[in-house]
Amino acid sequence: MKKIKIGDLIFKSFLWIYAMISLYPLIWMVFYSFKNNEEIFVSNPFGFPTVLRVENYIKAWTQYNVPKYFINSLIVAVATVILTVSCALLFSYATSRMKWKGSEIARIYMALGMFIPVQAVLIPVAKIVKELHLMGHYSSLILPYTALNLSFATLVFYGFFKGIPVELEEAACIDGANIYQAFFRIIVPVVKPAIATLVIFTFLTAWNEFLLANVLIIDAKLRTLPLGVLFFQGQFTTDWGAMGATMVIASIPTVLVYTLFSEQVEKALTVGGAVKG
Amino acid sequence: MKKFFSDKVAITVFTLPALLIFTVMIFIPILQVFWNSFFEWDGLSEGLFIGIDNYIRLFDDKAFYIANKNGFIFAAIITVLQIVLATFFAIAVANSKIKGRRFFRIAYFIPVVLSVTVVCQLWLSIYNADTGLLNKFFEAIGSDYRQNWLSDRNKAIMAIAVVNAWQWMGYVFALILAGIKSIPNSYYEAAQIDGASDFKAHTKITIPLLAETYKFCLILSVTGGIKAFTEMFIMTGGGPGNSTYTLTYLMYTSAFKSGEFGYGLAAATVLVLECLIAIIVINKLFKQDAQMN
Repeated sequence: MKKIKIGDLIFKSFLWIYAMISLYPLIWMVFYSFKNNEEIFVSNPFGFPTVLRVENYIKAWTQYNVPKYFINSLIVAVATVILTVSCALLFSYATSRMKWKGSEIARIYMALGMFIPVQAVLIPVAKIVKELHLMGHYSSLILPYTALNLSFATLVFYGFFKGIPVELEEAACIDGANIYQAFFRIIVPVVKPAIATLVIFTFLTAWNEFLLANVLIIDAKLRTLPLGVLFFQGQFTTDWGAMGATMVIASIPTVLVYTLFSEQVEKALTVGGAVKG
Repeated sequence: MKKFFSDKVAITVFTLPALLIFTVMIFIPILQVFWNSFFEWDGLSEGLFIGIDNYIRLFDDKAFYIANKNGFIFAAIITVLQIVLATFFAIAVANSKIKGRRFFRIAYFIPVVLSVTVVCQLWLSIYNADTGLLNKFFEAIGSDYRQNWLSDRNKAIMAIAVVNAWQWMGYVFALILAGIKSIPNSYYEAAQIDGASDFKAHTKITIPLLAETYKFCLILSVTGGIKAFTEMFIMTGGGPGNSTYTLTYLMYTSAFKSGEFGYGLAAATVLVLECLIAIIVINKLFKQDAQMN
């Protein structure tokens, strides 16, 4: 009996220890966003700040372009979500419900994207974006981001559409609705849960995307937050508190989304497990 | 009704936007990757067709071997750390007798939603040799294990892999947890009646039944190792020397730093092929395993 209890204790303390390993770096980041350099490096590296230096946040917000980065990230992420979800909804509907030659081929063609890593197409995408004169516009990120999310989104919607009974459209057809009305008024409301999943998934990936942004954004005015956090290093190496504040600000939206909808976020991010495999 | 579903205009309107964006931004680029890898090309002027010279040079390049070795080390470390820890934690959190399950779930998952640049900046300051949290921690407990984590040729890649494992463990954890929840409770009840211990029940029921989930996790971490880039780019710049190079890093520097686009694209082609081979091999391994049972 006693033996089991010791095992239990070790087991539980391991759960707590890893929870600390997982969380403490973040808590530490929040702590140092309220400290000055002296406190971060010398007097109080681990603990709660002695004085809450809110001025770090004011500085980050007013002097270091953080609002600009924030707005850029928001525009890019929201536009990517809207474009991805609407294109994928329409495409999956046509390939899963409508009768036409080449429907199967179109579906497989789109699914091929699941096997193409972003890293591999980085060089030609940069070139194409330049040739289309998209450099310097938000669309230089929005279009590639959408393309990257489309394969996955169409696979998820396809699965959902396949599960809806045809009687839904039949009823609408008898009532005299055309295909567009049937799609927007009847089908789209039915797949709302799938839409919610993909909105969350696409928003998080677009908000945090770095690889393409790093290559495609040359204009400092268009930098998204992941880039802003990076360039901080070069420009203001001395001001760690303000850098911590910038990192906290960059993380607030996604952490907020996660704490509000934790189960949906986990579901949205792991739904790939069912599709990719 | 048949007319309703075969409206040609509607089909065009519905499929065209997605097809267009995908073709221009993914399909044409991947064709260009393969095709232009046979050219000597600076990204601006007309390229010169040189056959497989880029590939010959690549297989002769020391950096290519370092990159592959690092991809392997990276994959091995994240596979072991993530899958072992995630299995352990998922089984614990799925157990309704454990207190604070919601807290653990959030604590383990939260790094997943952070931006990779924030995570890298954070760990740069943790690893910092003079002022970093890690060395300060060893100092505080009176150990002399403090060291320069990111400037050691052999240790840097491991230090970076730990950062990736730290960020994405929660993702694998959520995948496995979702898998465990889909296993009917009656299986465990039956095992309990047969007198099996909890440990035995999990090794005999949970882990075999989650074969599909494990297959997916393995594909994710192995291809993750092959594709690794951002952590090296931010934390070490590929260094010291080229000791933390990966295939993507080699591609990136060839194209965007030294202007050898054809050479970079040969590396990109190898990257795609390696990922495909990894996916096929892992699928085969799991299929064989399923047949054996």
